Order: sequence, then structure tokens, then C-alpha cells
Amino acid sequence: MKYGIRPTAVAVFFVYSALLWTLLFQQGISYPFVFLFFGAVIGSAWVGGTIAGFLSVILSSVAIAYFFVPPIFCMQVDKASKNYLIAYIICSAAISWACSSRKRAEVLIRRSRDELEERVQERTTEILRSHEQIVESERQLRTLTEAIPQQIWRANADGMMEYCNQYLLDYVGRTAEEMQGDHFFSVIHDEDRDSLRESWANALSSSTQFEGEWRIQAADKKYRWFLIRSIPQFSGSGQIARWYGIHIDIEERRCAEQALAQAQVELSQQSRTLSMGELAASIAHELNQPITAVVTHAYACRQWLAADPPNLERANATAEKIVQESTRASAVVAGVRGLFQGKEPARESTDINRLVRNLVQLLRDEAIRRDVIVRTRLAAGLPHTLCDSVQIQQVLLNLAMNGMDAMASTNGPRELSITSESKDLREIVIRVEDSGSGMDAETTSRIFVPFFTTKSQGAGLGLSISRSIIEAHDGKLWMTPRPAGGTVFQFTLPVMS
Amino acid sequence: MSPQYDVEVATVFVVDDDASICDGICNLLESMDLQVKTFGSTQEFLAHWNEDMPGCLVLDVRLPGMTGVEFQEYLVRSGIDIPIIFMTAHGDIPMVRKVMKSGAIEFLTKPFQQEELLSGITQALEYDRTRRAKLASAKSILARYELLTAREREVMSLVTEGMLNKQVAADLNLSEITVKQHRGRVMEKMQAGSLADHVRMADQLNQLQNNR
Repeated sequence: MKYGIRPTAVAVFFVYSALLWTLLFQQGISYPFVFLFFGAVIGSAWVGGTIAGFLSVILSSVAIAYFFVPPIFCMQVDKASKNYLIAYIICSAAISWACSSRKRAEVLIRRSRDELEERVQERTTEILRSHEQIVESERQLRTLTEAIPQQIWRANADGMMEYCNQYLLDYVGRTAEEMQGDHFFSVIHDEDRDSLRESWANALSSSTQFEGEWRIQAADKKYRWFLIRSIPQFSGSGQIARWYGIHIDIEERRCAEQALAQAQVELSQQSRTLSMGELAASIAHELNQPITAVVTHAYACRQWLAADPPNLERANATAEKIVQESTRASAVVAGVRGLFQGKEPARESTDINRLVRNLVQLLRDEAIRRDVIVRTRLAAGLPHTLCDSVQIQQVLLNLAMNGMDAMASTNGPRELSITSESKDLREIVIRVEDSGSGMDAETTSRIFVPFFTTKSQGAGLGLSISRSIIEAHDGKLWMTPRPAGGTVFQFTLPVMS
Repeated sequence: MSPQYDVEVATVFVVDDDASICDGICNLLESMDLQVKTFGSTQEFLAHWNEDMPGCLVLDVRLPGMTGVEFQEYLVRSGIDIPIIFMTAHGDIPMVRKVMKSGAIEFLTKPFQQEELLSGITQALEYDRTRRAKLASAKSILARYELLTAREREVMSLVTEGMLNKQVAADLNLSEITVKQHRGRVMEKMQAGSLADHVRMADQLNQLQNNR
């Protein structure tokens, strides 16, 4: 088809048309009019291609030789017209070739342009599709970050906030604009802001992830504790592209921890302060019971004897009761003594400075309440001692509380000073000084006597128990007046050998 | 505890978880010819005691379970009126004020003097005796009042309000003679010697009724 019928038909059609028109024009023109045949060749070559052009050259040459070159109506060509016909054949062949090759080139160009266009179309479709996929996956990601009930954010490589999820925005009660960039820090608790900035700056400069616990203000202006964790995302070149952050609510855990710590402090405080007071109260009660019984029986005994006639039998039985109850009272006293002297205290290597520091922490609230300044001067590198740290803490607490009590009515500065030093590397000395008004001679002489007290609520046992404890540790406890007013209690403990 | 314990006789009930204290108080009070009964706890006391037993309570503050102070609150709530003498080794002023306000007779600090205990017990028993006497007389008046007929009660109430026979008769639409007859029977049944006696009984009756 491509090389047969169609080129032939095209060539025949064009040449035939040219022939008809030329026959028509030839009536009025004397010389052989062949220009329309050139047109037929051009048309055939253009429309039908090389083969059609070539055919039209042959057909038109035959037609010209037959109809227009004299002698006409025969294939003979006279000598004069031979050159003319040859010129025509050469010219028309050249035109045919030029036209068909031009046409071929044009077809090629068009085809490649079409192909190009097609490819562009394909690429565009492809790009559009992948763009849709990206948008979709981003939408899914965003839906995910919004759906997670956690506070999530993204910051740029410089640490400036770019995006906060709705959960975070809802929590802080701000708009996305109000959280942009550096504004983020405005929702952090005043006391935590500097520490968070510092951690953030460290993370930015070292390009490592960071986490910590800070308080974030909620929409209702209340603060809750959060674990803030941020992870850097690196670009292909190893540079940080952005930071992702997440906040985990740890308020309940923090509260529980604080409550626990508070309870521990209170417990230790109570067990220490109560132990001395409770002990005294319980000793007092234990002693008071048999004494009451003794006194009551004694009255009864007198009564039986005063009767008329005296009831000697009952009086005798009552006297026996008095003996029994007195023995019980003295057993109580013996028990108390045994509590501090008979038993070997549980001893372990102890840093007294640590006990003092614990004590100061314990006393802080009490000191503030009583407007007392507590100062410590603790010798560095103090040797350890072998002692029962709970008991020594009791002594320290007792001396410190006594000191504070002594300053209760002082108008001048109230200063409680606790110092530690080592003496001759054999023993250490602890001093507890108050700036109160000191003691009169009578108080001084009886201060260590059990049940002697200057306080309305005291049992008068603190100092005597303290002295028993220190003596059980092979130390000494004594008091001296303070030159500038007030009293100094000091005790020694042997150094661990 | 004396073997010849008599529930009719005023008794000092002692509650203290320390047996030696109970023993001491028991011994002392017996030496003064008082009837004593001791208990280790308030529950034991409640299990034994009833309203008809005259006497007073010597109560320790520090007791296992319900404390003495709580026990007093319980008694007040339950409407049980038994005079209480508290004793404790260490009482503070708010506690003393509280129990005295709730009607305690005395607050003793251990160890106490014989006289303190004795004076407290004397007061308490006197209080209990008076209260019971009042109660008994009111009860007997009530018993007699219940013998009266409805008409006689009407006459009694009008007469004790100070009305004359004539006025009563007019008020109740009766003849004066009938009123006189009613009045005579009322005086006889109530065992009232005089009009003054009569009025006093009417007062006590009113009081008793108001207390209910």
C-alpha cells in the first residue's frame, strides 16, 4: 500500500489534473506549457512521497512528450524539443527529490515533536500523581500527629519553633502564631526557663538529642510537669534539618515523688522529735501509774489503821501492795536506764558533718518559723567516728532545739551555730551555741539532772538522755557559758582508729 | 470488790485499764466503808451497769478503745446521767474544760490526794442521790395522777391554775357542789395535804411531761 497503490494513485491524480488544465490552457498558448506539471510533481512528491514524485516525473514526461512536444499525439520527440524535454525531466526530478526529502524531514520533525509532546504529557501525569501521593502522605502524617494525644512540635535547624500540634496548642491555650519561634519559652515556668534554654542551646550546639523535666503552663494558668524530649533529624548532607519534640505528662509521677520525699522528711523528723518527747511521756506515764497506786494504797493503809478497832489484816495486806507497787516503779526506772547504758549501741563509721548537714536541713522550717539563723562551721576532712548515727542525730537535734528554745525570748539576733573540729586526731568536738540569755547558776548546776526542766512543756529528760548517749559512745557532753551571752553545749566522740 | 455487793446501795464504779490503780482505789474506798466495783474497760462497765444502780463513775482518761472523754460524750448522747470523776496522769486545760462543761464532777491528776478523791465522790454520790430522789417522787406523783378520771384531771388543772370553785364550775358547766366533790377526791387520790402541796405536784408533773 505504502509503496504501491497510494503513490501511484497520488501521482496519477496530480498528473491527470495537470494534464487536463494544461490541455485547457494550451488552446491559447503557442509554446508547450509545462508549469502545471511541475506543480503536479511538487504535489505528488509532497503528498505521496518519493515514489509518487518519481512516478509523477515519468507520467508527466510521457504526457508532455505525447501531448505537447511536437510532433504531438505521438511519443516521438523531435530534435529541437529533445533538450527541452530532457531539461524538464531533470528539473522535475530535482523538484521531486527536493520536495520529497523536505517532506520527509518535516514528517520526521513532526513525529519527533509529537513524541516529545507525548512524553512531556506522560511526565506531567507522573509528577502530578507523585505530588498527590506526597500531599496524601503528609496529610496522613499530620492527621497522625494531631490524633496522637501527645504534645508534639517541630523546630527548624536553628531551634525556632515551626509547628505545634493541636493537642499542644489546646493544652497551652494559644494559637500557632503565639507559639512560633522564641515565644515557645513563654509557656515554661519562670524557674525552669533558664535551665530549658541552656539544655536547648547545648543540644543545638552538639546536635544531640536532649530531654529533661520542666513545668509547662496550661491554658488555666496552672503548671504541670512534663518530660520534654527532642530529637534532631539530619539531612542527606549530615546537617541538622529540623528538630522534633514531644512532651510527656509526668505531673502525677512528680507529685507522687514529692509526696514520698515529703513523707520521708516528715517521718524522719517525727520519729526523731517524737522519740525523745514520746519516750519522756511514756516513761512519765509508766512511772506515774505505780506511784499513784502506792499513794492510794498508803492512804488506805492509814485509813484501816485509824478505824476503831484498827483493821490490821487489811492494813497488812495493803502494806504488802505498797511494796509490790514500789518495786514495779523501780523496775520502770531500771528499764529506762538499761535503754541507754546496758545495750551496746549499733556502731558504724559515720561522718559527723553529714549528720550536722542533715540536721540543718531538718531544722530549716523550724528555724524560719522561730526567726533563727542557723550557721555551720564544719572542719574539712573531719575523721569518721564509730557511732550510732540515729542516736547522735537525736543528741544533735536535742541540743539544737534546746538552743532555739533558749533564744525564744531574745530580742537581739537569734543565731544558732554548729561547729565541728578534730582535736589531736584522737577525738572530734561538736559545739552547739546559741545567742540566748544564758543560764543562771542554779540552772547550770542542775541542767543534766533527769526531770529538771525550765520549760513548761518539757519532761526534763532531753539533756540527761543525750549525756547518756554520748557517754555510751565513750564521749563527753558538757556546757559552758558563751562569752558573748548564751550557752555552748559541746560533746566529743572518739575518732575511729 | 466486796463480796456482799448490793445493787441497791450507792456504788463507786471505777474504770481503769491498770489493775493496780483499780486495786488501790478500791482498797482506799473500802477502808472508808464505800461500796466499790472496778472494771478494766468502759465496755465491761456498760455490760454490768443499768439505770437502776445508784452511784458514780471514777473514769480514767487514757483507756484502750474508747477514751474516757469519748465515753462521756457517748453517755451524754445516750441520755445516761451518771456523775463522773475523771482521772489522768497528764490532763491539759482544754481537755479539763471540755469534760467539766459536759458535766463532770471533778478532774483528778494522778497521783491524787485522798481528800480530793473523797470530796469528789461525796459530791458525785450526793448529786446522784438527789437526782434519783427527784425522779422517784416525780414517778410516784405520776402514778397517783394516773388514778384520776378525766373529769378529775380537768378540775385539778383548773384549780392549780388558781381558779375558785365557782369559776371552775362555770368553766366546766357543772354545779359548784359537784366541783367540790371532784376536788375532794383529787386531793385524796394525790395525797396532797394542802393546796400548796397540790400546786407543787402539778409543777413536778409539768416538768416531767416537758422532759419527755
